[in-house]
Amino acid sequence: MNAAVSAIQALPEPEHPVIALKGLSRSFGAVEALREVSFSIRPGEFVAIMGPSGSGKTTLLNILSCLDRPTGGEYLLDGIATAGMDEAEQARIRREKIGLVFQQFHLIPYLTALENLMLAQHYHSIADAGAARAALERVGLGHRADHRPSQLSGGEQQRVCIARALINEPALILADEPTGNLDEENERVIMELFRALHREGRTIVLVTHNPAFGSVAERTIRLAHGRLEGRA
Amino acid sequence: MFWRLLRQSFLQGARRKILSGLTVALAATLGMALATLSVGVGDKMAQEMRAYGANIRVVPKGESLSLAVGGLDLNPLKGRETLAEADLPLIKDIFWHNNIIGLSPFLDVQVSLGDKGKARLIGTWFQHDMPMPDGDVFAAGVRTVAAHWQVEGAWPGENAEDQVLLGKSLARRLGLGIGASLSLDAHPVRVVGLLETGGDEDSAIIGPLALAQAIANVPGRVRAIEVSALTVPETELSLRARHNSDALTTAEYDVWYCTAYVSTIAHQIEEAVVNASARPIWQVAAGEGAVIGKMQVLMAVVTLAAFLSAAMGVSALMTATVVERAREIGLMKALGASLAEINAQFLSEAAAIGAAGGLLGCGFGALLSQGISAMVFGQSVPVPWIAVPLVTVAAIVVALAGAAYPARTIARLAPVEVLYGRK
Repeated sequence: MNAAVSAIQALPEPEHPVIALKGLSRSFGAVEALREVSFSIRPGEFVAIMGPSGSGKTTLLNILSCLDRPTGGEYLLDGIATAGMDEAEQARIRREKIGLVFQQFHLIPYLTALENLMLAQHYHSIADAGAARAALERVGLGHRADHRPSQLSGGEQQRVCIARALINEPALILADEPTGNLDEENERVIMELFRALHREGRTIVLVTHNPAFGSVAERTIRLAHGRLEGRA
Repeated sequence: MFWRLLRQSFLQGARRKILSGLTVALAATLGMALATLSVGVGDKMAQEMRAYGANIRVVPKGESLSLAVGGLDLNPLKGRETLAEADLPLIKDIFWHNNIIGLSPFLDVQVSLGDKGKARLIGTWFQHDMPMPDGDVFAAGVRTVAAHWQVEGAWPGENAEDQVLLGKSLARRLGLGIGASLSLDAHPVRVVGLLETGGDEDSAIIGPLALAQAIANVPGRVRAIEVSALTVPETELSLRARHNSDALTTAEYDVWYCTAYVSTIAHQIEEAVVNASARPIWQVAAGEGAVIGKMQVLMAVVTLAAFLSAAMGVSALMTATVVERAREIGLMKALGASLAEINAQFLSEAAAIGAAGGLLGCGFGALLSQGISAMVFGQSVPVPWIAVPLVTVAAIVVALAGAAYPARTIARLAPVEVLYGRK
């Protein structure tokens, strides 16, 4: 008995998950968008969240990115309880812990690719043109640093968006349909980029309809009617 | 990065920002023009109002109470105090001598018109070149002091002792007109003009001072002097000084003495002329103060209204900008920007628009005030340069006030709504 206890105590302390959801719910009036959702995501995992329209994917993504609050349950991000945070605290968590990749890229049209990255640095800490340029190089767009979004293709804009999500070394990258607006060729490039990021040990959660991503991701979480399908 | 954002934002949305700037500039133009006119209008109005009569009356001490009833003075002239005609140039030699723009002596005397009864003769200067101690000549006389007197016919010549004006009421009573001859206490005179003032003079004969002095047998003496002086509107200080200048502190006295209040100039005339009691004609002085005060209030209200509408204009334009840039603001929030950082950018844009509009408005306003002054007063008005920073600051405040409502919109904007277009 004592030996067994000692054996358990001797096990290494498990690293805390980047995301831990416990009985998470979100209602909009009488409509329950998420019901008792629980799962956790370990550091370095690449998880795809899939499900039909209206299954609660976007609601879940909004809560995971601290743009919305759950009405029930618990959400720990990198070990920090996020329920009950006010807007300022949520903003701080977003700039320090999360990198967001949008389906529609959302680059500021009057800033260059480089300046769009520097803006994220500016809100995080301090704008550093050298680091921003290196991040653009990382996504293969060093030569497009001084171009405005309107001068870039959709695929290039998405790569700038990914570089912006990486620029502050966040604990978590959250992507919403990152290839939803791209052609096949660019979709392939972006998927390859996510694969590479995963290989680097980044924690990636992406919401997608695209079954190809399901196969690229390490794990798939399926939602239906606001509930998890099967085991997460 | 902040400045880069600001610069790029200006380059990007130049059209709307120029419109906002022009809205503020318009209000600032009005503000600057009215501020300039408001400061200059006192002098201009005082000058204009001098045409409606003197504002200071100088009489011998103890003679300040008139015993005239129904136009007839019940006091016999003999034995009454008078002032020396030779002292008149001293009035033009006081500290505020440049503000004395006209003066005229008066000596009135009852005269017999023979079988036509009695009448009042007012002796005065019509247009008299008064030699000054420094050798200059000052154009004195009723034609400068009482520019509102209406004369039908001609003004008497200054050195013609036999020419008089006849008040219109008296002319009607006597049945006389221009060219008629009269005998004033055996001095023959000829009526060269008929006078209408709306005052006591309408029932009197206005003649040369020397004639009145000869009839009254008081050579070189006058009974009263009316003075036209450019003054500034009365203030609480001058009103206190009016009651008792001895009650002022030394500092207050200095301020009062060195300001061209009507009471100050009256006080200095009393200091200069022996045995004189100089009294402001309060109806005129107070009327001027009230008119100028009301004009300034009117201008302030118009300026306030202009700035208020500018604030509303800026608010509308900035709200449109915020709506147009909602995604950008949502993105900034999603990237973790604090509300203070986002507001700082929009408020800085508003402040820059306010400053540019304010400075532009100051320039236009200064020009506009010159145009208005030239049109209304026929001459330029000095631009109070202190108004430039004041109007610019007011313009910035107005632009920031206009940005207050859009700032609330920014605070309420939810990133999920604008970035994903859904809740």
